[in-house]
Amino acid sequence: MASDVIIIGAGLNGLVAANYLAKAGKRVLVLERRAVAGGQAVTEAFGSGFRLDVLHAGGQLRPDIVSDLGLDVPASRSEPLISVLPGGGQLRLTADSDDRTLASIGSVSKRDAERWPGFVAFMSEASGFLDAAYRTPMPRLPNVSFSEGLPLAKLAMNLRQLGPRDMFRVIRALPMSALELTEEWFESDAVRAAIGAVAVHGATLGPMSAGTGYTLMHNWLNRGGLGHRRVEGGVGRIADALVAALKARGGEVRLSADVKRIILDDQTVRGVRLANGEEIAASTVMSAADPRHTLLTLVGAPELPPEFVWAAQSIKMRGSVAKVHLLTDGNHGLPAGTLIVAPSVRYVERAYDAAKYGQVSQQPYLEITADGAVVSLHYQFAPYALRERDWGQERAVLERSAVDTAAAAFPQLRSSIREIKSLTPLDLERTYGLTEGDLNHGQLILDQMFFMRPMPGWSTHKTPIDGLFLCGSGVHGGGGISGAAGRNAAKVVLKA
Amino acid sequence: MLSTLELKVTPFHERTSRLSVAQNWRRWAGYRVVGSYDLSLDHEYWAIRDRAALIDVSPLMKYVIEGPDAARLLHRLTPRDIDRMTVGQVAYTGWCDEEGKLIDDGTISRLGPQHFRLTAAEPSLRWLSMNAVGMDVRITELTDQVAALSLQGPKSRAVLNRVCKDKLDGLKYFRWMNTSVGNVPISVSRTGYTGDLGFELWMEADQALPVWDALMTAGDDYGITPCGILAMDMARVEAGLFMLDVDYTAAPHAWIEGQKSSPLEMGLDWAVNLDKKGYFVGRRALEREKREGSAWRMVGIEVEWEGLERLFAEVGLPPQIPSMAVRESRPIMCDGKQVGYASTSTWSPVLKKYIALAHVQRPYYEVGTSVLMEVTVEHHRKYAPAKVVKLPFYEPAWKKK
Amino acid sequence: MSVNTYDAIVIGAGHNGLIAGAYLARAGKKVVILERREIVGGAAVTEEIFPGYRFSEFSYVVSLLRPEIIRDLELPRHGLKILPLPSSVTPLDNGDYLAAWADHEPTRREIYRHSPRDAEAMDEYSRVMARAAKAIKPVLSLVPPDPSSMSVRDMLGLLRLGKYAKSLSEKELYRIAKLVTQSSADLLNEWFEFDALKGTKSASGIIGTFLGPHSPGTAYVLLHHYMGEIDGAFRAWGFAKNGTGGVTAAIAASARALGAEIRTNAAVKQVIVKGGRAAGVALENGDELRAKVVLSAADPKRTFLGFVESQYLPDEFVTQIKSFRVRGSSGKVNIALSALPQFTCLPGESPLHKGAISISPSIDYIERAYDEAKYGQFSKNPYIDIIIPSMIDRDMAPPGHHVMSCFVQYAPYDIEGGWDDQKRDAFGETVIRTLERYAPNIRRIIVGKQVITPKDIERIAGITGGNIFHGELLLHQLFFLRPAPQWADFRTPLPGYYFGASGAHPGGGVMGAAGKLAAHEVLRDWR
Repeated sequence: MASDVIIIGAGLNGLVAANYLAKAGKRVLVLERRAVAGGQAVTEAFGSGFRLDVLHAGGQLRPDIVSDLGLDVPASRSEPLISVLPGGGQLRLTADSDDRTLASIGSVSKRDAERWPGFVAFMSEASGFLDAAYRTPMPRLPNVSFSEGLPLAKLAMNLRQLGPRDMFRVIRALPMSALELTEEWFESDAVRAAIGAVAVHGATLGPMSAGTGYTLMHNWLNRGGLGHRRVEGGVGRIADALVAALKARGGEVRLSADVKRIILDDQTVRGVRLANGEEIAASTVMSAADPRHTLLTLVGAPELPPEFVWAAQSIKMRGSVAKVHLLTDGNHGLPAGTLIVAPSVRYVERAYDAAKYGQVSQQPYLEITADGAVVSLHYQFAPYALRERDWGQERAVLERSAVDTAAAAFPQLRSSIREIKSLTPLDLERTYGLTEGDLNHGQLILDQMFFMRPMPGWSTHKTPIDGLFLCGSGVHGGGGISGAAGRNAAKVVLKA
Repeated sequence: MLSTLELKVTPFHERTSRLSVAQNWRRWAGYRVVGSYDLSLDHEYWAIRDRAALIDVSPLMKYVIEGPDAARLLHRLTPRDIDRMTVGQVAYTGWCDEEGKLIDDGTISRLGPQHFRLTAAEPSLRWLSMNAVGMDVRITELTDQVAALSLQGPKSRAVLNRVCKDKLDGLKYFRWMNTSVGNVPISVSRTGYTGDLGFELWMEADQALPVWDALMTAGDDYGITPCGILAMDMARVEAGLFMLDVDYTAAPHAWIEGQKSSPLEMGLDWAVNLDKKGYFVGRRALEREKREGSAWRMVGIEVEWEGLERLFAEVGLPPQIPSMAVRESRPIMCDGKQVGYASTSTWSPVLKKYIALAHVQRPYYEVGTSVLMEVTVEHHRKYAPAKVVKLPFYEPAWKKK
Repeated sequence: MSVNTYDAIVIGAGHNGLIAGAYLARAGKKVVILERREIVGGAAVTEEIFPGYRFSEFSYVVSLLRPEIIRDLELPRHGLKILPLPSSVTPLDNGDYLAAWADHEPTRREIYRHSPRDAEAMDEYSRVMARAAKAIKPVLSLVPPDPSSMSVRDMLGLLRLGKYAKSLSEKELYRIAKLVTQSSADLLNEWFEFDALKGTKSASGIIGTFLGPHSPGTAYVLLHHYMGEIDGAFRAWGFAKNGTGGVTAAIAASARALGAEIRTNAAVKQVIVKGGRAAGVALENGDELRAKVVLSAADPKRTFLGFVESQYLPDEFVTQIKSFRVRGSSGKVNIALSALPQFTCLPGESPLHKGAISISPSIDYIERAYDEAKYGQFSKNPYIDIIIPSMIDRDMAPPGHHVMSCFVQYAPYDIEGGWDDQKRDAFGETVIRTLERYAPNIRRIIVGKQVITPKDIERIAGITGGNIFHGELLLHQLFFLRPAPQWADFRTPLPGYYFGASGAHPGGGVMGAAGKLAAHEVLRDWR
């Protein structure tokens, strides 16, 4: 039976889009290149069989998506963010301002502890605004129709209802640097650095870069605070829930179905061609792959207008995250929580400086999470595009400085290591299909947000190819594994 | 030192500068070229129409496009159906942006199955490269390396037959061939910018002078005349040929949308193959325009001489017309309102008419419509009666024979 | 009425203060302009630092001065002449150079020499930037509406702004959105490949900011510098006859001719508040002056935290002004020379000596210079923008001798350990050493040199933090957020007190728009 809609990629956004369409009665076929669904939200086994959340140590779908789709998602809990300070100190931060958090902050600065609840309130207001913005479709400017303009006007009213003071605080904070923002609240460098680290998590930016106010809000929204939201049984279970729900709605997911080409007939979609040569017809194709790959590889530049091709080429991807996973004997000595090595703002900024010049940071900002005997090191910054070396040479350097940095904070760790599995940005591209290893399918920078995501003029999920829609992280709502982009795109397709 | 501050000179400069009596130089694409050799244009103009005029057109931008996707690139770049072009053929084409507005125009010569030469008025390397993303094709600019001469006029073939190794009698309109002059290999295309019988000769820049000399010697019996670009400007208006940034604004140069022109508006319907397969830049916009009709068109305007005479007679003067093509905007009126403007106007010595290329709004662009063109009569604005006519104004029987 | 009673008092005789004062006088008001220093001009002054050698001490080029101000105040009649800077040149490390001219064709040929691709890209880039500048320019001469306000005036302002946005084409609108948010490195990397070209262009995006070319938002600053009024030029900057002090001298002469009084050596201590309104000022010397309105053209910190007691201003406003970023990032080295510097790439006297000379070999070079500054050091290899004013205006130095102005970035105001004489000397030496790499004879021909750190800018010109724009051109410090949300309309929370200087919309450069707009708003409120 022919499908109404083919969706390329069974990541969370692809699966969320599929569910919304299936719920509306469409026949949906999801094609996944890998043998496992989930995209970035996968729990996989490596080496001797150790299982872990490969790319994201936690995550959550937007709660409204969970309820819209009636999903049976596993429980998740928010972890505290623990910043490891030189000399063995720790700074424990949570978004609920509990006594332990306030005491911990108080140990570095009394004044900062007093200001913490106010900061948390501001951040929830700001991320709340961002949540609303991610739900609001971003029409093409400047000729916005009344029906498109209404949700925007609503969003503007939401903002105005915050009152002038908070409204301006939110507006000002978006283009600010995390340092500037935190300087307005806190005096302690350690507190500023911990927040700055969350702000640059996944981004190729430093805490002194303009626009990290925005990425802070974004990450705060997706995490529901500072620490990770750990999923019971692994993040892969979110994907499992989505696949199950899709099947129940009559949709289909085909694994190991590698789409090589979107078939066109004069700028109109006719279907897709798989790596094995099989062609599947459909008049609507949604791609949850990143926009650069979708447009320049699956469609192909020769089929697209030159200025559009240039804009697609100009999407800033430049991932600089690497992962170093360790199987230990269990005696790694790590406390529970989302641990970070980001002792000072300058430390994190210097780690970022290396990425600017195509080098792997020798003193990286690390995020360390442990699940039983498995320890995961999230490593920043390790740029996809190395200047003088290549990733074949640099893997050993990456693994060494990852372990050295982590072991400096947790000395027991080194001797507990049994196996190492590292993922360079190049691996993220090759294995997980993330162009330039960018987890967000396009950097979360000011000129790639809202109306300009993925490209100026194309924030509507549409493309110059009739019947082809974008629904991955690289479009509005996206960045992270929240499913917002998939939902937004599905709504557009249902209206089309 | 600081040679970049000087204008470039063409490979023929040694000859052209010595022949130039008027020292009337013009800037063309960063080069210094002869505007007119003589103090008046008559002699040069009539060489085009009656004898053989030799024009240095080296500043034309020249690109060679080669590789497996060469045809595919040009197919995508232009509205012409490149698949239908055979080796040896030359095609005139404009090319557009995605909104279907003209960026530039020039000729494509198919040199081989995977080998083309493109001429353009403006530097186009960037636009070509932007269009070649994802294609297996090599684009080389040869503007400075390749010299170009245009030999135009009824006697041009006879002159060439004398100097070229091969006879050119078989070379049809908009075809090209390889031959040589002396021991200099050249390629000759039967093309030009005058609307007369004519040829364009392409050769390596460092072998350009012998070709010039051979032509001048052999052409002497036929009255060959070096001709500047001002006389050519008159001839091209008679031929209904337009010029970038004079008769249309290249889309990238336009400050506002209204300044842009589509090939359909410019009357290039015959060079827009909407029936061809596949994507090309501007396709959808052009399809839409074809469906909905163009808002205005480039047309010929012929001023009625008696009416013009009357306007001048009112102040006691005989008609006064500039003796060369004038690139200045003149309003075209109808029913008491402005319905367009002339972008270039000229006295046509062969037709004995005052003619103009004009942008005219629908429905006034229909052939035969009576309009008025603004003229200045003794410092006062007046309106001369005129008619919309079919282009070209002048097309001699021998042009395509 | 006593002599010391005015309609309006303007604090500060920099260009904005003088312009505001001149406009108020032109409207028939009795105006006094008070200047702390013994000379007028603020940061736009010409001083004879060494006998016979005259320097535009701080601000050294003019591109942004609004032409309507030149016309309204009849500045040419009062001596204003803006001489063109015809070219710019970037010496390269390989002994070659990259030049740009006011004329398009030689510029094209010059770039073509280095990169044919960039030569074409530059044509298109210049058009795109010119169009963006054209599109954004009207916004600069507009009083920013308050988006949180429900007042008719603000709503109308927002509506007008929305309408204006709709009048732009899709391409223009997105281009502007992109320019406002992008980093200049990203912008330039999309267009060009030649390092020196990108480096030189990116420099315009960081001048006066505490940002590197990779920082988002720097593309806007680049555009800001693109808005020069002398049309058609690559870098439409000019040099004022008699130095930048020539501009303020002309404005001062115009203001006087219009009836304004200018008092120098009149440092303001405090704004006098009566019945909840600004009612005059008290000077450091104990004099008191009364007026219906007071307009400050000082920087925002001194305007609100220095001159006014905090009890008269809302707490939130005070907090906002306190967090307003004014970190100076640039210094100046003014050098008197006994001969023309011999640049390796420009032997002898070249026409390029008449234009700007830019030490900006690549984006990385500038970014690395920034890296040092963000960690509290001045750049070891700084970006330097050089002009030799005596090549343009022969009256600036004795015959055969020259003056050279070097604008240097980065030199952080908050240098680690604070600025002292030793650090100033080291900074000056770094600049000379950098220059020596490109002009080896420089050290031998130095007659005298004046090194100005951001601290010196603060001390001499009175700009808190030493930022040349009175406040960094950061996205969150522009338009309706400049200098503080809800107070971008040149009014302040203290009735009768107005603010019209570089720290207000539309920001810095010798533009004068803030002074003019502020005067306009004063007159609008006049009852």
